[in-house]
Amino acid sequence: MSQKHSSTPPRQSPAAAAEPPFSASEQAVYQVGAIAAAFGFFGVIWLDAELVVLDSYGWLVDTVERGRPVTDSLVALVGLENEILALKERPDQVVELPAVAVADADRPARKLNFTFFWNNAEQCHMALAYRSPSQTELEMELSKQIRARLIAEAEVTAKSKELVRANADLESFASIISHDLKAPLRHMRYLAESRGTDAGASDAGTLHQKLREVEMQAKRMTKMLTELFDYSSLGRKYEAVAAVDTRAMIEAIRATYSDDRFAIEVSGAWPTIMTLGAPLDLVLRNLIGNAIQHQDRPVGRILASCTDEPLTLKFVIDDDGPGIDARDHESIFLPFRTLDPAAIAQSTGMGLAMVKKAVEGAGGSISVASKPQQKRGTAFTVVWPKHISA
Amino acid sequence: MMARKIMLLGEIGVGKSSLARRLVFDKFDFDYKPTIGVDVYRYEVPDTPGQARMTLIIWDTDGNFGEAIFKHIYMKEASGTLIIGDINRPPTLETMGKLGQGFSEMFPGRHIGYVVNKTDLVAEPQAVALPPLLTRPGTPLVRTSAKTGTHVAEAFIDAAQAIARRSS
Repeated sequence: MSQKHSSTPPRQSPAAAAEPPFSASEQAVYQVGAIAAAFGFFGVIWLDAELVVLDSYGWLVDTVERGRPVTDSLVALVGLENEILALKERPDQVVELPAVAVADADRPARKLNFTFFWNNAEQCHMALAYRSPSQTELEMELSKQIRARLIAEAEVTAKSKELVRANADLESFASIISHDLKAPLRHMRYLAESRGTDAGASDAGTLHQKLREVEMQAKRMTKMLTELFDYSSLGRKYEAVAAVDTRAMIEAIRATYSDDRFAIEVSGAWPTIMTLGAPLDLVLRNLIGNAIQHQDRPVGRILASCTDEPLTLKFVIDDDGPGIDARDHESIFLPFRTLDPAAIAQSTGMGLAMVKKAVEGAGGSISVASKPQQKRGTAFTVVWPKHISA
Repeated sequence: MMARKIMLLGEIGVGKSSLARRLVFDKFDFDYKPTIGVDVYRYEVPDTPGQARMTLIIWDTDGNFGEAIFKHIYMKEASGTLIIGDINRPPTLETMGKLGQGFSEMFPGRHIGYVVNKTDLVAEPQAVALPPLLTRPGTPLVRTSAKTGTHVAEAFIDAAQAIARRSS
């Protein structure tokens, strides 16, 4: 190593160095190197096998302290020691650390690229430091402009997506209002008009009956509007992700719905997961409520199962009701759709629409299996992600 | 003295450099200068009873890396990360989750702290809705303002203490 020191150019003032024992052509190379180093094009650090600084050359690396671990003055190398030390075992490779600056409060930091080698001949590590092209003012200014544009574009894209979503919501909202909410209005109008034309409409009893019907239709419309509002609000705000005990949740739902007519059997894993509790509760509750509501026999049974899969929970709500024809498997998830005319008095047909929206809002999916021609019953399968993505 | 490397990650313009400069130099630069590559800062963590003295080597990364940062040598031997978002730019808050996930996959068990910055620009920072991942119970989350200095040191010292606990 002492030999290396004797041939190492002095670090502060290469021009003032004693004449090195070079040949004429080597000397020319040396002088070019010395000038390049003096102008800050590169710097060199020599390190022993333990990464202690032996010497350095060029003002780009004038902050390194001889005799001390290189990490003391170049803190960017903390954590990379093993990577550099390993070069000894694989001397044909290098470690590159591009565009690193050790920040300083008082002066603009130099942004340097470091490349580390192992010098087998001299049994020392060598680090070549050279200016990163990103150091220039022009590069900084360009980068600043590009980033300002990127930020603006990202904001515009986000707003555009929001706008597209809002427009789609508005369109679907307008369609629902214009179509489905007309029904109770139409009914009320008919009742009002018939009051003047029907024979016996002035009879107090008939009038009372018609007024009651108007009141019922008004209540139904209010309910539809309320549920429509709930539907449109679903997923608009971030819900808190919290530990949710799915078994406790299903047991609470079972306690609410089980009675002499309906047996709800629970099977499977039902673990506690970090998830959105309120939407999951809405999904399970509405599916079970839906199964009970559309049961056409005096008694029925519902099987609720949960399978714990690697990334998801699979919930199945299986009933022995009349079943759903395959042609309706998609339309049942649309707002204000109910297949059972008899249920219109109790149901607005929003339950499954809300279930679908809640499931998809959490990043999950829902499917329905039912073949009433072959067998009674419907099974809804909900795949619910265990990790809710932001 | 124990030296530990902590990465500042987050989208461009969320205030990573401003937070580091506020912490280390106690100043705020009104002129936005993007970081190209990395700037490395050294911060001596104030003594905490019962814990060894620690120097945080803060790696302020170029936000332009996005998730590609995880493939870079810059990440070698990182003891933890502070992932930063801008309270006024929801997409940057969403990105925090992705970066957190990427870091935890690369360095399982190492510290991840989340920092929601620029709180000086909103009237009620606590009322601003955040993505669920950031509000999970037990998730280290600090709302900061590099401009005013609010909770900046707290964010780094909390991270240093968590790193020290995991190292011990």
